[in-house]
Amino acid sequence: MKKTIINAILILTILIVYYLQANFFNWFTISGIMPNLFIILVLFIGLFSNKIMGIVYGLIIGVILDLLLSAKFGIYTIGLGTIAILAGVYEKNFSKDSRITIMVMVFTSTIIFEIIAYILNYVLVGINIEILNFVKILLVEGIYNLILTIIIYPLFQKAGYYIENEYKGNKILTRYF
Amino acid sequence: MYKNKKAGIIGIIITILILIIIVIFSNGDNNTSFLENAISNIVMPVQNGLTYLKNKLSGNSTFFADINNLKEENKKLEEENSKLEQSLRELETIKAENNTLKEYLNLTEKYGEYKTVPGYVINKDISNYSKIIVINIGKKEGIEENMTVIADEGLVGHVISVTDNTAKVQLIIDTASSVSCSMSTQDSIVCKGTLDDNSTLKAMYLPTELNIIQGDNIVTSGLGGIYPKGIHVGTIRKVENTKNITDRYALVDTAVDFNKLNTVLVITNK
Repeated sequence: MKKTIINAILILTILIVYYLQANFFNWFTISGIMPNLFIILVLFIGLFSNKIMGIVYGLIIGVILDLLLSAKFGIYTIGLGTIAILAGVYEKNFSKDSRITIMVMVFTSTIIFEIIAYILNYVLVGINIEILNFVKILLVEGIYNLILTIIIYPLFQKAGYYIENEYKGNKILTRYF
Repeated sequence: MYKNKKAGIIGIIITILILIIIVIFSNGDNNTSFLENAISNIVMPVQNGLTYLKNKLSGNSTFFADINNLKEENKKLEEENSKLEQSLRELETIKAENNTLKEYLNLTEKYGEYKTVPGYVINKDISNYSKIIVINIGKKEGIEENMTVIADEGLVGHVISVTDNTAKVQLIIDTASSVSCSMSTQDSIVCKGTLDDNSTLKAMYLPTELNIIQGDNIVTSGLGGIYPKGIHVGTIRKVENTKNITDRYALVDTAVDFNKLNTVLVITNK
């Protein structure tokens, strides 16, 4: 029952994030560069629920975004799928208790996602390569996501541990011994 | 978790404030005017109400005194109106004359001759690289792939995929887009999108002997098979000279303001 509620809330969150990303952050930009909340969301699901669920959510969000917005199918699907796998790797190797680690995770995930998206755009759509502008966008977007992480961290942490308790149960204790 | 809850909340508030300041200063005037709008939207209803009340109270006594003034004003306006009507007729004659002259110059191809379907922008790509918009018309309205999309000011892009009710449009500022254009001198160039900003195109493959005039109008050349001939693209802002003259390029200001793009027209015939 609790799991159903968690999933319902997650789906609602996806809708809210989509709304924010498409409307609010379209003009609330740092010199025209938007953050990418979907990376934070998929990372969050991957970190605090189990690995499979993270990947499923990553792929579903990716497919929806690809169908709705992208020029060629696959860019968001592959990008967000990779982020979900990456979240599994982070989960195994790093502690989630520190704000700094979460910030570093978000920053690196953003960088990795954007590089994948850019390469896929180059291969599938055939964009012109502009390294300098790309690096600028990459860094600003990474920093923007990082600032947003600082703001939503308490929520991130609370909701995260709630989900983790539900999905991993007692196993969570092993971390402390 | 934050060790001290109060400190945590203060930290978050400070971060939000810093973010808002960064956003405002990094975007120049655009966002300040937006903020102005937002604030005035909140304040205006109250202000309107107060002004209405004030006028109601003070207006009664001046009502009769104003009648004479109004009569005079009405007379003046009537005179002005007849003058304006006269100049309008004159303008219409000039317009007709202009049209015939254009016909002489073989410039009959105008937007009016294209069949267009109007549509609204309902979505924008959330990525920082690709510039794609979704419009609210699709197969049902007769939209097909590769149709040209324009706005009042000029060229917007072309349709890349269609569903029954929506269509995705790749804007000309997308880095994957290139448009064959011609200048007033009839020389053809290629305009490509850049990652730099939302209102600049890079005009490449400039002929070496070409003299480029700042502010020159750029229109589509009709080559390439997607865009019809003669649609306004933008104006030349400046020419960037490089060591090798074959590499030089020009920056073109787009005619359409893509940040404020809300309505578009899709050309359904060529």
